[in-house]
Amino acid sequence: MTELKQTLLLTLREKRDVALAIFFGFLAGIAGAALMASSGYLISKAALTSQMTILIVMGACLKLFGLVSALSRYAERLFSHRATFTMLSNLRVSFFEKLSPLAPGIFQKYRSGDLLARIVGDVENLQNFLLRVFYPPVVLAIVFISTIFFTSYFSFAIAMVVLVGMLLTIVAVPAIFAWRQRRIDSAVRASRAELSTEATEFLYGFRDLKIYQQLDRKKQDLTTFSERYGEQQRKEGFEENLGQSVNAFVALLASFFVLGLGAYFVAEGQLDGLYLAMLVMISLAVFENVAPMAVFPAHFEENRKAAARLDQVVSEPVQAAGDAELPLNTLDIKLENVSYTYPEEERQAIEGVSLRLAPGSKTAIVGPSGSGKSTLLQLLLNILPADSGTISIGGEPLAALDPEKLWQRMNVVLQENHFFFGTIRSNLLIANEAATDEEMEAALAKVQLGPFSLSSKVNEKGENLSGGEKQRLAIARAILRGESLWLLDEPVSSVDSVTAKAIYRQLFERGKDDTFVIISHDLTGLEQMDQIIVMERGRIVEAGPYEEIMEKQGHFFKLKQIEKSIFA
Amino acid sequence: MVDLKQLAYERKNIMAFLFIASFLKGAAMIGQALFFVWIADGVFLKNASFEEVLPYLYGLFGAILLRVACGYAIGRSGVNLAAEVKMDLRKKLIASFASNPLQASIQGQSGQKVSLLLDAVDELDGYFSKYIPQMVQSYIIPILLLAVIFSQHWVTGVIILITAPFIPVFMALVGIKTKEKADQQMEKLGQFSGTFLDVLQGLTTLKLFNQADRQKQTIQKSSLDFRDATMEVLKSAFLSSLMLEYISMLSMGIIALEIGLRLVVFDSLTFFTAFFVMILVPDFFNMLKDFGSAFHTGKGSTAAANRLSAHLEKETPAVEWGAGTLSNDPPHLLLQDLTFQYGESFKLGPINTEILPYSQFAIIGKSGSGKTTLLHAIAGLLPLSSGAVRVNGISREQIDEKSWFDQLSYISQSPYLFAGTIKENIAIGAGREAADDEIWEAAAKAGIGEMVGSLKHGLDTQIGEAGRGLSGGEKQRIALARAFLKQPSIVLFDEPTTGLDLQTEKILQQSIAELGKQATVITVAHRLHTIKQSDAILILSEGQLAAAGSHNDLLETYAPYGVMLEIQHGGIVQ
Ligand SMILES: Nc1ncnc2c1ncn2[C@@H]1O[C@H](COP(=O)(O)OP(=O)(O)OP(=O)(O)O)[C@@H](O)[C@H]1O
Ligand SMILES: Nc1ncnc2c1ncn2[C@@H]1O[C@H](COP(=O)(O)OP(=O)(O)OP(=O)(O)O)[C@@H](O)[C@H]1O
Ligand SMILES: [Mg+2]
Ligand SMILES: [Mg+2]
Repeated sequence: MTELKQTLLLTLREKRDVALAIFFGFLAGIAGAALMASSGYLISKAALTSQMTILIVMGACLKLFGLVSALSRYAERLFSHRATFTMLSNLRVSFFEKLSPLAPGIFQKYRSGDLLARIVGDVENLQNFLLRVFYPPVVLAIVFISTIFFTSYFSFAIAMVVLVGMLLTIVAVPAIFAWRQRRIDSAVRASRAELSTEATEFLYGFRDLKIYQQLDRKKQDLTTFSERYGEQQRKEGFEENLGQSVNAFVALLASFFVLGLGAYFVAEGQLDGLYLAMLVMISLAVFENVAPMAVFPAHFEENRKAAARLDQVVSEPVQAAGDAELPLNTLDIKLENVSYTYPEEERQAIEGVSLRLAPGSKTAIVGPSGSGKSTLLQLLLNILPADSGTISIGGEPLAALDPEKLWQRMNVVLQENHFFFGTIRSNLLIANEAATDEEMEAALAKVQLGPFSLSSKVNEKGENLSGGEKQRLAIARAILRGESLWLLDEPVSSVDSVTAKAIYRQLFERGKDDTFVIISHDLTGLEQMDQIIVMERGRIVEAGPYEEIMEKQGHFFKLKQIEKSIFA
Repeated sequence: MVDLKQLAYERKNIMAFLFIASFLKGAAMIGQALFFVWIADGVFLKNASFEEVLPYLYGLFGAILLRVACGYAIGRSGVNLAAEVKMDLRKKLIASFASNPLQASIQGQSGQKVSLLLDAVDELDGYFSKYIPQMVQSYIIPILLLAVIFSQHWVTGVIILITAPFIPVFMALVGIKTKEKADQQMEKLGQFSGTFLDVLQGLTTLKLFNQADRQKQTIQKSSLDFRDATMEVLKSAFLSSLMLEYISMLSMGIIALEIGLRLVVFDSLTFFTAFFVMILVPDFFNMLKDFGSAFHTGKGSTAAANRLSAHLEKETPAVEWGAGTLSNDPPHLLLQDLTFQYGESFKLGPINTEILPYSQFAIIGKSGSGKTTLLHAIAGLLPLSSGAVRVNGISREQIDEKSWFDQLSYISQSPYLFAGTIKENIAIGAGREAADDEIWEAAAKAGIGEMVGSLKHGLDTQIGEAGRGLSGGEKQRIALARAFLKQPSIVLFDEPTTGLDLQTEKILQQSIAELGKQATVITVAHRLHTIKQSDAILILSEGQLAAAGSHNDLLETYAPYGVMLEIQHGGIVQ
């Protein structure tokens, strides 16, 4: 039950709706029973006497109880469903809130289709919490207890039969089925997540699957997963149906005993026959209400699992974040003896790196693929936390800063950038909500995307843009940011040299006094940079201005030699 | 059109069974009421002893058992029906996803498609597991009950006949409105999943741009929107059951009054008949009420079915294939007036060129000039708008798809790494089981062998989603290794060396040259030094063929080529 604590708290936040739902649920149940009881009583009475008043009372009672019952049922449904859906929305938001600090590391633990299944499917599943788990037993218990009080006035034994029936239908049978459920472990949610995960990857990797002719095989896999999910659902359906039937049987059995016992007492003269029909009618009516309890076990178990699965995702340790603000002046960046190892790796990805990025300086980071360039950038961005050593920006240690405030002051282009389904405009506005159309068009022109209109459609992941266009759109986003610190990770690797040159010229012209950090595999034109950093295996093996490190005839010199031989 | 009712009736056995079980259940309900009344009447008015009514109690028990058993059987058949239809539909959907041409596959949001496969199909459950069984029961049981009521007391029957028809009328009225709203709700649900997956994927980007908070609000808003859409649907469902309840109550009131009148004033009715009718009438209306709520579930399913139909019936131009086969020797390729256009936007071609067997063929041009599009067209991933790709003289459309792709390797510009081991990710290129040493060899050729060797789990390291992260260049090289595993006769490379340092690039150049001994290699490149040695270089500009020839030819005849080369060698960071 601890798994459901959070859900329960969120549900109870809708106090008013929940209370109203319970109240009207009770009213509807009780009025329904009263309606049946009065009709049973009045028929019996009418069979004995011939007073007109009986008829009048009968008509009035039937009308009153019927109306109350129908209206209450309506109100109950309205309030309970509203509370549920508000709760769901709160749940989604609170889940997202917890999920957001976990990016990007979370994707090394979970596949996106799995997360999708959790956040849509599992959350959706919890909508049953109030409707089918939490409040039916509560309402039923109140209705039953009132009924038992009422019947005990006529016959204690019959009241006991109702009590036993109640304990069976709302406690014992659901408990047994909940236990069974747990034992057979109908893994509906899990197989659903599996299907969602596979389907998502199928769609994402579609092109490569097609090229490698793996579509058929993957289709088979997917069909297998879908069938597994279908079978699990079927199993769940059977179980639910069995529960329903057992419950209905017990409920009818209770009425059967009420009648049998009542008949016995009447025959023995211990009960006035006048009340027999009424008691039977009451028991038929109240036990009609227990139908929802049949689905309780399945929902309870599923809810428990869903809540646990959701919790599992967001219970990852979150990197502690500071809340200090950045100083307003230009930012001086210092790294001292910084090391970093990826979780579960043995080798350090960054090893004892010290470095200074003076305000207004232009730095290029070069080095073989896999040498730690992007990792270094992510440390600077505080996306990854350094294991040891210190990074400071404008004199403030990075760890003490509010990451949001930090990012606000940078124009970043990562090695891989995401584009959202929407338009060019919506993808640019992400960088700067206040940007006007003119500003956005100017930014597009700077990256040679002039011919694109702001309202051009962008498909998911920018799939309808060329490789170079995506990179240029990412640069346009950074331009719109308009800050003076640029961190660019291979920003033009897929852009032809003519276009790339034009873009760089734009950037440097505009940002003469800005600080630039550029990761690149292109060794040409680095003469202009204030500082070149050569990385290898996570270390800085050389650093300094072009002339200086060329003179050393070390690593950079060798790289330049290779370049020369290639260009020749 | 996904016709739900037809889907159900296609499963004749289940339907027949439902009809029989419903009939028995109706009989059991009547029996149960009868025994109830006999017993009550016996001890209340006839002063029977308990022993005398005991046989009736046994009978009652039997009736209850039969009723529950029939209910169980009906429910089980419903579950079976739903499970079968759903699995069938999912199969169809998956097949339609798989047979999509590339162009259609990038349309829409993946999350929405996943939601179609999961949520929309699940939404149909209610139709088959609830609505259909309920519908069959309400064809049979109310008629049975009505017949019995008529036989006992025809006036009650007449009252029911007059009042009951109001129910379907009301239901239809409310139902029409529900349908619209249910459509909206389904759409909102799809949108929700679609956006959510997109947001998840871009969470890092969103955070960097301080959009996480706003996104939270968006989620809240779309989720509240979804709530409101759902509440609209539910409200009408609740309203209709309120109406149902009200009508049945009214009708029961009239019946009770009439019965009472006869009992009290005219004494023309026995207690037995009165009580019997009073038990059967609520049963009758309960059946209708159950049908009413099942009807609404059914309506919701129809909205989902419409969404499924819309997807399954979408027509997209497909790439055509024939039956011809290719040999292992690189074919002679001829592009004849090849054109392709993305809808109304970018247009490629017409392009005419010849690609000789065993040649090294390069395509260059500015970013966005159509290089990738041309490769897609050659590879048979996009349907040509006009013109043809001739393979050894015959049109590519007459070649068997499998035979074509067996001879082809295509490393695209942004290859996808699947969640799985490095081994699996490389082996996928061969389309067959590959031995470890073959994979190691391919990895070495792609310049990633050493790095993989240094990993704790080597080839068995998990990568892709939920796996170990890799650097940009490492991902690229894993994908490249796929090409070296297969022995294709045509190789297409889209910027194979992006994100790689010069040293690694050199290794790759060698491997590619080796591959070229048995194959035609077509390469798209921005780094011009990598394609200098090519037999032919094609320059694209805004989708048009700007120039073609060897490196030296182009230097002489096409001035912009010289400029491109110079800029590249002179450096771009200036
Ligand atoms: N999430 C991760 N988990 C474990 N190891 C990682 C992860 N990301 C990167 N690495 C490893 O860390 C090392 C440095 O990676 P990084 O991405 O910083 O390289 P890079 O210099 O940017 O290379 P490239 O030029 O190819 O982009 C590589 O060996 C890589 O395999
Ligand atoms: N699926 C698509 N739907 C619509 N337009 C597209 C689609 N894919 C590409 N385009 C457009 O077609 C044009 C050519 O794209 P293509 O990918 O062929 O360029 P490219 O030459 O490969 O460029 P790059 O060097 O940047 O990769 C671009 O303007 C691009 O926006
Ligand atoms: Mg990198
Ligand atoms: Mg391209």
